[in-house]
Amino acid sequence: MIDAYRDLDWNYYGPELIDALGETVQMVVFAFAISAWIGLTLGLLLYTTRAGGLLANAALFWIVNFLVNTIRPIPFIILIAALQPLTIQMLGTGIGNTAVIHAMVWASSFGIARIVEQNLVTIDPGVVEAARAMGASRVRIIFTVILPEAFGPLILGFTFVIIAMIDMSALAGIVGGGGLGNFAIVEGYQRFRPEVTWLAVAAVIVMVHMLQIFGNLAARKVMRR
Amino acid sequence: MSTAGTTDARVGADPLIEFEQVTRIFGTGKEASVTAVDNVSFKVDKGEVYGVIGFSGAGKSTLIRLVNGLERPTSGTINVLGHDVSKLSESRLRHVRSRIGMVFQQFNLFQSRNVAGNIAYPLRVAGWSRVERDSRVAELLDFVGLGDKAKAYPEQLSGGQKQRVGIARALAVKPEILLADESTSALDPSTTGEVLRLLRRANEELGITIVAITHEMEVIRSIADRVAVMDKGKIVEEGLVYDIFSNPRDDGEVTFVGSALRDRPTDEDLARIRLHTRGRLVTVSLKDSAAVGALLGQAAQFGVSFEIVHGGMNTTKNSSFGLLTLALEGEGDAVQHFVETMRGVTPVQEVRYGNEVPR
Repeated sequence: MIDAYRDLDWNYYGPELIDALGETVQMVVFAFAISAWIGLTLGLLLYTTRAGGLLANAALFWIVNFLVNTIRPIPFIILIAALQPLTIQMLGTGIGNTAVIHAMVWASSFGIARIVEQNLVTIDPGVVEAARAMGASRVRIIFTVILPEAFGPLILGFTFVIIAMIDMSALAGIVGGGGLGNFAIVEGYQRFRPEVTWLAVAAVIVMVHMLQIFGNLAARKVMRR
Repeated sequence: MSTAGTTDARVGADPLIEFEQVTRIFGTGKEASVTAVDNVSFKVDKGEVYGVIGFSGAGKSTLIRLVNGLERPTSGTINVLGHDVSKLSESRLRHVRSRIGMVFQQFNLFQSRNVAGNIAYPLRVAGWSRVERDSRVAELLDFVGLGDKAKAYPEQLSGGQKQRVGIARALAVKPEILLADESTSALDPSTTGEVLRLLRRANEELGITIVAITHEMEVIRSIADRVAVMDKGKIVEEGLVYDIFSNPRDDGEVTFVGSALRDRPTDEDLARIRLHTRGRLVTVSLKDSAAVGALLGQAAQFGVSFEIVHGGMNTTKNSSFGLLTLALEGEGDAVQHFVETMRGVTPVQEVRYGNEVPR
């Protein structure tokens, strides 16, 4: 095994791996930068419109809940294909990293919505009631009580989503995109070079560990424990 | 809109809080619905401490939330600070709420804010400037004795300290009314006293009107001027704390007040008492304890011997009261004559034990 890595043509695979890593990071960062906001908004809607919520609204809750339940279970590889007509209309192309980012935004927005909702329902309703008793408006309560109180768990939830998005980005090769998934399949698997595939695996593992450590530290700092 | 003149005239003339035939039903349908508050009427005057006591599930929590509109009545009218809060929209209600502070059983402090941040929150809501906020927070920390805890977070505080922060936060915007929702129920007895003293100071030094709901007699005894006893959504007794506690009721019903005070013997107590005395058992009110004492001193002259078999004194905010159960023995009509004389001095109640025929 060690011999395999010593004999590897690092002058070729080194830059290829770095490029692939860069593309993965790019896809995840772009998609997350958009879906975080959409997901947060949808999650807040799910939490506040539910029965007994601050903006209790059965119809709106039903619609958002139905959308989330409909989009979320679609396997990502199918979603990429299914969204292609829309992707072409919106972005002018149905292939490449941009197309994958588009699909990732859809998939992760609805996933984030559910994770945000799950974290918000754990907030003690008493603090929301206290803020209402002080005469705070509902919008103020959302931004100055609900979000700050759930900030720590939300950081952990978002960390989880980013890691899931690294997973999604690995399918980019399907529509001509790059990234670590494509690198592993094209350079490693299809050329019968498992040691190359394992380079991608190692890169993903290191990335995920770093993200989780950072997420845990940030959440701990916010929650002071 | 009323002019400044009429607004001034209203202060003191009208009660700050007035419930008229208020009912709150949860759920719909005959079987699913629960009547939490059932046709309740009462008034709270400016400057008083009004206590509401009852077993859990009596509707107290709903009652106190009707005052600041956290709950809406199914029927009836609720007048608070000159507004019919049952008819106000949520946004108009906010202005009334900012004049009412609230303290909670579980404190409900913002975990994401430190002590100073918690106290400053209602000031931010009310639009106070930063400079005003800082000096008000310092003032309140001083009032509740937590001057050194400004930077601490709620989880670093003890229960009593958390509730003191809760009280400081509730008093921040100088509200006219303070609602205390089981404010000491999550605390141990020594911290309970600390928090109750603070509420009493808020009432006496700041003149704030307090509505306190509780299931603890201690709270009513130490801070309330008037008390309402709530049972199954209704107010079953209401009056000055002293009157409600000191008058033995003749219907023999186990009242909340009686059971909480433990001021009369239970059936188990009576069984034990009967083991060693055959005398006639009566319970006398110690409303005028001096007169009762004087009469007991003359018992021998009536040809009656007595034994104190049960009793106790309780202190309220500004008086004390109690009940004494006596076993009386004597020849012929002596006991009957003595009991009748006592009735001239204080309320006396026969104690019935098991199948005994009252004499």
